[in-house]
Amino acid sequence: MKHIEVMVIGGGPAGLCAALAASSLGAKVLLVERDEIPGGQLVKQTHKFFGSEKQYAGDRGIHIGQMLLENVIAEQDIELWTDSTVLAIYEDGVVTVEHEGKHTKVKPDRLIIATGAAEKFLSFPGNDLPGVYGAGAVQTLMNVDGVKPAKRVLMVGAGNIGLIVSYQLKQAGVEIAAVIEGLPKIGGYLVHASKIQRAGIPVLTRHTILEAYGNGQVEGAIIASIDETWQPIPGTEQKIPCDAICLAVGLSPLTELAWQAGCAMAFVRELSGHVPVVDDLLESSRPGIYCAGDVSGIEEASAAMVEGRLAGLSAAFSLGYEANEAKALQQSAMEELAELRAGPMGQHIRDGINKVKLKRKIGNHAFENQTEKSGIVKDYSSDATNTCRAEIKTSLINDGIPTKEELDAIYPSDKRLTEGPIAIVECFQEIPCNPCVKACKRGAISMLRDINDVPVVDEELCNGCGLCISLCPGLAIFVVDKSYSGDMALIKLPFEYVPVPKSGHFVAGLDRAGRELGRFEVVRVTSGGDKNKTFTVSLAVPHDLVMEVRGIRIGEQAI
Amino acid sequence: MKKSYDVVIIGGGIIGCSVAFELAKRGRKDVLVVEQEYLTSGATGRCGAGIRQQWGSMLNATLALESTHVFENLEEYTGYDGDCGLNQGGYLLIAYTEKEWEQFQKNLEIQHQVGINSHAVPLDCIKEIVPHINTDGIQGACFCASDGHADPFHCTYAYAKGAQGMGVEIVTYTKVTGLKVENGRIRGVATTRGDIEAKVVINATGGHAAQMAMLAGDELPIFPERHQILITEPVAHIMNPMVMSFHRHFYVQQTPHGSVIMGMGDPNEPVSLNTKASWQYLEHNAWVVTQTLPAFRNLRVVRQWAGHYDMSPDRNPIINEAKSAEGFITIAGFSGHGFMVAPRTAILVSNYLTGQQDSLDISRFSVERYKTGELLLEPSVV
Ligand SMILES: Cc1cc2nc3c(=O)[nH]c(=O)nc-3n(C[C@H](O)[C@H](O)[C@H](O)COP(=O)(O)OP(=O)(O)OC[C@H]3O[C@@H](n4cnc5c(N)ncnc54)[C@H](O)[C@@H]3O)c2cc1C
Ligand SMILES: Cc1cc2nc3c(=O)[nH]c(=O)nc-3n(C[C@H](O)[C@H](O)[C@H](O)COP(=O)(O)OP(=O)(O)OC[C@H]3O[C@@H](n4cnc5c(N)ncnc54)[C@H](O)[C@@H]3O)c2cc1C
Ligand code: SF4
Ligand code: SF4
Repeated sequence: MKHIEVMVIGGGPAGLCAALAASSLGAKVLLVERDEIPGGQLVKQTHKFFGSEKQYAGDRGIHIGQMLLENVIAEQDIELWTDSTVLAIYEDGVVTVEHEGKHTKVKPDRLIIATGAAEKFLSFPGNDLPGVYGAGAVQTLMNVDGVKPAKRVLMVGAGNIGLIVSYQLKQAGVEIAAVIEGLPKIGGYLVHASKIQRAGIPVLTRHTILEAYGNGQVEGAIIASIDETWQPIPGTEQKIPCDAICLAVGLSPLTELAWQAGCAMAFVRELSGHVPVVDDLLESSRPGIYCAGDVSGIEEASAAMVEGRLAGLSAAFSLGYEANEAKALQQSAMEELAELRAGPMGQHIRDGINKVKLKRKIGNHAFENQTEKSGIVKDYSSDATNTCRAEIKTSLINDGIPTKEELDAIYPSDKRLTEGPIAIVECFQEIPCNPCVKACKRGAISMLRDINDVPVVDEELCNGCGLCISLCPGLAIFVVDKSYSGDMALIKLPFEYVPVPKSGHFVAGLDRAGRELGRFEVVRVTSGGDKNKTFTVSLAVPHDLVMEVRGIRIGEQAI
Repeated sequence: MKKSYDVVIIGGGIIGCSVAFELAKRGRKDVLVVEQEYLTSGATGRCGAGIRQQWGSMLNATLALESTHVFENLEEYTGYDGDCGLNQGGYLLIAYTEKEWEQFQKNLEIQHQVGINSHAVPLDCIKEIVPHINTDGIQGACFCASDGHADPFHCTYAYAKGAQGMGVEIVTYTKVTGLKVENGRIRGVATTRGDIEAKVVINATGGHAAQMAMLAGDELPIFPERHQILITEPVAHIMNPMVMSFHRHFYVQQTPHGSVIMGMGDPNEPVSLNTKASWQYLEHNAWVVTQTLPAFRNLRVVRQWAGHYDMSPDRNPIINEAKSAEGFITIAGFSGHGFMVAPRTAILVSNYLTGQQDSLDISRFSVERYKTGELLLEPSVV
């Protein structure tokens, strides 16, 4: 039997950060990941992440995963087992692992469960036809295995996953018939929705899938509008021909190990299902077992990384490591979490966590034989975070296309527009994200209170250099230059498709709904660099269209 | 749920449900079954569900034989539209010691007396029944082709649905927390959903039976003992019979769907209501079974779990009306073979409660036997 101080189950962002944090305080760590390549969900996230600099916002998920993994490999005190699945956590604290083909036993002093989540499924006739996928599976096929999964896809679900995977399918040259969503509003970040709308992908809220049809494989789907009670409205059925249906209808925490370990569990809708109940240092009701990341509530990689770090610190600290330093580090991790969750998008997480918080137990934290499950105190006292932030109420929330009023409110003054280039930041929703603020070296972009605020451009400070365009993960920043020439204005926009246009090319200019407005000349193309990979394309358009053109299309492909 | 019933049955395992069915069939239909979780949540849903007639005591052999006949037509018998999964692939009992082999010969005599078609298998014929068995150390074996196993969930639902069809009520997630006894008679039960009056209360709570009986002042020698079991991934069929060794404490079968179920007794298992599985069991059972059946060495285990045997001192059921509470009847102490004898046991109890004749003498199962010394000793239990 192998003895280890801290064992971490799962090598996603939470697990990697937990291992790094525990070892940084001096603990010996064993990190076990069932996949060949650690990284969890990150290994397939080719888009740039939100959050703040502390959570590597603006970097692509895949790069964040690689960077964390390199750090783990470089750390001598972390032993990494890949292709190794944790099978069980027993009463006597023994954890068994299928490792190198053997039933291997480990006895850890502290255990961190960071097993992430699994995709939910939907029931409808035909859902067992080949061609009905989970969105995560499609993403793995495309981005990990390099397989184009289909020619034409219907995406079900307009949360972040549905929106992002649609965008990535489009990048891979797959046509998206539509993104449908049962709720009356888009659940994901609106900048993602805007991005796919201007690529010509319709987002239909209050729609559901009735059935999938096809002979031996998916040939199409029947969708319909639904009413307030989620009942299909007769007469609204539509046939959508497609060869794949992608379900992006949420994730459920992968909690089997926590159940088996006897951790107290609670059903919390806001956290997406049954979750282990933890205290503010992420220790569960079973002393010595900590939970971090999606396993204790579906959230984001940014939060998962911070939770992982907090759990790692807490586990090592409880073993007596770096007693002086640890407290301050724990405190700052808790503050980071509070900040990430402070906005309207974090409301449900705050509510969920407050419903079932474990009061900290004072005293012995040894992970010994299973003890009582008592000590669970529901703490309904609400977070001090303010809740009076604005939620979007206009049609923007339904289709991702800002209204005229919303746009007018953020446009620079006419005077400033005529003076020269200036950034237009079309980011209207309060999301935990701020790379734009860091991107502008002139300090022209600011947020009022914290990273959940919407960015505001100071028209005096901004000189229209365009640096921020390729650094915004939401692809929501454009630069407009009305001083370009007498009859033409310049629009600079972010671009992440292949082929990349060259200056001198004529391409179709598209409005915010993906409609073609004419063919315009590409004046300049700049690369964001090998890592960033986002290009900035400058297009010469007539003055009256410079506030309308927000995308381009090369050939038949709308982009 | 009403306030009052003729009969309240505590426990929704195979015993509680089969008794409810047989009572209703005999006209006592004002019956309520009270289950603290869901039907089959106790030993029934956790068991190996083996059906064996090769017993060493006359009583067990008879109960098992006559129960097997019921299992053979359980769907029709209860009007169930599902499949109870009976698979009569036989039981191969293997003897590893001289003494065991002698016992087997004696058992065969008893089995033949009650009409069970079991027979001894010479060493060189064992592989005809289980081709991949390792015969090292085996002294001999016995086989009965009409032994087998069934689906414990479907069998229980068959009885439950059949009973409900005749008017029996079943409530789940309702726990009996107390018994009401007045002037030496049972009057009803207290539950987490209120008090219920009853003329007769049947205690079919398996491993919890002694605790339950104590609430009526009846002290019974029934002890819960954890038994563990595991199931593998499904693979092509290579083994029809259940293979069982008393000496090595194991049993193993391949289900119709291809997965292999195996279990093992631990002679040092303490009395407890613990249902946690252990890694020690997992490794030990895998090792022991693959000594005898090496072909299973590369199978992947997909699940392991544990349940209780409701043990009695002579490893045979206790069917007992409490002296302290007339009308309170405990049916438990099955010592790991309550599934296979449930059909006949339910008939026996129901005949008694409806004043009908029965070829078996129910009083032999009473707890009195431990005073008189007329034990129902069963030599052949895993
Ligand atoms: C399409 C998509 C887009 C997303 N976009 C963003 C985004 O833009 N920004 C953002 O912040 N977040 C985003 N997320 C969310 C983010 O990826 C997750 O919240 C985050 O990965 C959760 O991290 P985790 O470590 O808790 O779990 P995971 O990343 O799921 O990692 C869990 C790991 O545990 C391993 N594991 C599980 N069980 C076992 C076991 N028994 N033994 C060994 N190993 C085991 C798994 O193999 C996996 O590697 C996105 C998610 C998806 C699906
Ligand atoms: C691992 C294992 C393998 C086995 N293999 C076999 C086999 O191969 N063949 C065989 O014949 N037998 C086998 N058995 C034995 C068999 O499972 C039992 O003898 C049989 O299921 C007993 O049925 P029962 O209805 O008496 O008990 P149970 O199925 O335990 O039912 C009792 C019910 O009472 C309920 N209950 C308890 N207290 C209360 C309360 N206060 N209020 C309300 N409800 C309550 C419980 O929740 C439970 O559902 C095995 C047992 C185990 C554990
Ligand atoms: S365009 Fe340049 S100056 Fe203006 S906000 Fe962006 S980075 Fe700052
Ligand atoms: S504009 Fe700023 S806050 Fe909005 S998505 Fe871009 S980087 Fe994030």
